[in-house]
Amino acid sequence: MAFQEENELLQDPAIMQEFLAESEELLQRLDQDMVALEAAPKDAELLNRIFRALHTIKGTSSFLGLEPVVRLSHRAEDVLNGLRRGVVELTKSTMDALLSARDQLGRMLGDLRQGGLKQYAIDPLLAELEVVQKPAETPLRLGEILVASGTIEPGTLDSVLQEQAASPQGPKLGELLMKKGLVSAADIGNALEAQKQATKEITSSADQTMRVDVRKLDELINLIGELVLERNRLAQLTRDLSSGRQTQEILNSGFSECAARLGFITEELETAGLKARMIPVDAVFRKFPRLVRDVSQSLQKEVDLQVRGQDTELDKTMVELIADPLVHLIRNSLDHGIEMPEARARAGKLRRGAIRLEARQEGDQIVISVGDDGAGIDPERVLRKALEKGLVTAERARQLSPREILDFIFLPGFSTAEKVSNLSGRGVGMDVVRTNLKRMNGSIQLDSVPGKGTTVRLRLPLTLAIMPVLLVQVGDEIYALPLRSVLETSSIRSREIHQVEGAELLHLRGETLPVLRLRKMFASPRTENEPSEGKAVILAIGDRRVALLVDGLIGQESTVIKPLGSYLHHCSSIAGATVSGDGRVRLVLDPPACSLPWGLPSDGKLCNDNYVFHLDARRRESWGTTQPTTGSDS
Amino acid sequence: METQINANEASRSAVGLHDSGHGHRDLLQLVSFHVGDEEFGLDILRVQEIIRIQTLTRVPNSPGFVDGVINLRGKVIPVIGLRKRFGLEELAHGKQTRIVVTEVRGTVLGFIVDSVSEVLRIPADTVEPPPRLSKVEREYVSGVGKLEDRLLILLDVDRLMSDSEEPFAVRVSGT
Repeated sequence: MAFQEENELLQDPAIMQEFLAESEELLQRLDQDMVALEAAPKDAELLNRIFRALHTIKGTSSFLGLEPVVRLSHRAEDVLNGLRRGVVELTKSTMDALLSARDQLGRMLGDLRQGGLKQYAIDPLLAELEVVQKPAETPLRLGEILVASGTIEPGTLDSVLQEQAASPQGPKLGELLMKKGLVSAADIGNALEAQKQATKEITSSADQTMRVDVRKLDELINLIGELVLERNRLAQLTRDLSSGRQTQEILNSGFSECAARLGFITEELETAGLKARMIPVDAVFRKFPRLVRDVSQSLQKEVDLQVRGQDTELDKTMVELIADPLVHLIRNSLDHGIEMPEARARAGKLRRGAIRLEARQEGDQIVISVGDDGAGIDPERVLRKALEKGLVTAERARQLSPREILDFIFLPGFSTAEKVSNLSGRGVGMDVVRTNLKRMNGSIQLDSVPGKGTTVRLRLPLTLAIMPVLLVQVGDEIYALPLRSVLETSSIRSREIHQVEGAELLHLRGETLPVLRLRKMFASPRTENEPSEGKAVILAIGDRRVALLVDGLIGQESTVIKPLGSYLHHCSSIAGATVSGDGRVRLVLDPPACSLPWGLPSDGKLCNDNYVFHLDARRRESWGTTQPTTGSDS
Repeated sequence: METQINANEASRSAVGLHDSGHGHRDLLQLVSFHVGDEEFGLDILRVQEIIRIQTLTRVPNSPGFVDGVINLRGKVIPVIGLRKRFGLEELAHGKQTRIVVTEVRGTVLGFIVDSVSEVLRIPADTVEPPPRLSKVEREYVSGVGKLEDRLLILLDVDRLMSDSEEPFAVRVSGT
């Protein structure tokens, strides 16, 4: 904070924002460039680019009086200068020191975004940068965190580290310390958490600003110009109308022309506004070379990351939301997918594994895939695990297709990893990926060939903001259903619905679908005589189909979804609201949440999982036939 | 004199007012409105706007006191019927019915009131702490303002919405 008071430029949020946005972008690119540099240490162009990036950060921060940032970037710059002049050799430890300097800079910028610089113990790092030719520890190591937090003495750490190095299996430091009773499991947990926090990218939470291509803004301004012209035209028409100078006919055509043009312009404006929100997925992708480098090194695996389609554009919010799932998937590939070099050689593969990260547009969807040429997933093992955990009956297990078996991986708490590492195998991960994807109205698909590798494909809508919906009617209420989830609609008679064990089922072309009555779910008023004929909207929820019964269909519409706000956030079956042409609010249903059997606690476990429906008859009984337990008392 | 100011400060803070910066430190500016037989006052700085009642959209399975949502110039905000919130008999909305739009803990929401009467300036020292009301009422009353001919209940909307997870009535029967 002290630094902030010294320099009044820091008080100017605009300057600060500009500095932060620029520096964060530079740092992100640094990551990529540094890893690339490691592969090509002689690349002078690359070296210069890294040098310039650090130099820019140093320059701006000294202008702003951010002294610790200046000191650190200056020292890193010195190392780079040495590299440029060939005085310093690019070793792994040089790179590690530079990367940790980059990380420390990232943390400082993160703190600045949060309010101000804190006190940093950067002296060790500065010293390390100075003697970078000698191998040194990076300050983000678990042991150092424990020393820094005062849990263990530096001397103790050294002796344990020696022991660790001497041991052939190379046990984890944390395990060693715990075995010796020097630290508790909680200490290790905290330190790991701190480590995670420290390495976490700074962009995630507070990043409410973005850089927009000027051309995109120009397009917006142009359209606004056209909008102004139409407004003037409308004003003129209104004057003509009140003065009575023009004939009815001229006025009519004038107004309808004006309305048509306004419609056209708003549509264009909508597209342009959305385009301005789009950023290349590269913003996330460029973090991964570093991640793959660090993780594969710590696992002693050899892995190449191949990135394709990083120019593909996606809504800014989506790009941020997709970051965590991708980290999970890539870590999974590194940890479980790619085998150790020796094992790969034995299997007749290249020693270096490959992870392919690719983004591309398919219609109105973006497909991001993460594939590896690793060991693949053995369906047999997944099935054994599922049986062990009681997720499936032996009888049902025989009928499952390999694809269905692989879907078990997405269940919460499911992990086939024999040993738990700090990367993955804790049974969290894939269900998180799926949950995040659902939040974005996306879907996930997993393909795996044992011995050949695994590919996960994420499908995302281009944007979160605009959604085509199907309007349905229940009583005198109108609801909107995301068209993405609607497979088909059909007219049904009530006798086509069968009662089976208390559950309602609809037979549709040989398929049996569970029935949900929107009227019952939402306790809509006027329930006394339901029409004997209605419409069934067949919804796809995950890989399951559900027939949602409504009174009537109204039509399709493109809508802008708005959040309902905090007081209503727990109305889980509602995704948001939209404003109709007459200004009234219409609620948008959230199909996955609707499929929750009403009246059962939503413990998350049975959330939207196809298997629950297939496997658990007790739960199935409550499908669609129970009254909602909440809200109907209002 | 000093004690006088302190007394004012005390009652001001009891009402939950910030210094409005108007210079008249001892005047409260309140929007007064009716719900049932009572007249209520709400700090004018808390009131964003007052709009006519419009068609509400019911939100299924929402907390009981949320009457629905409305479209406020493109923003969807929840609307709370004060009659329902106070456990009064619910009446059909009429010509006088208004929605008082306010911000509570960062959320913009509307309160449905029977009618809005006027903007009042009352000296802060005429505001007394809430009398011995029932426990429930005291929850959302921050003070009582004495006017020449009547009493004004000063509403504390923050506290009114603080237990928004459970409808009021549940808690009443529980105590």
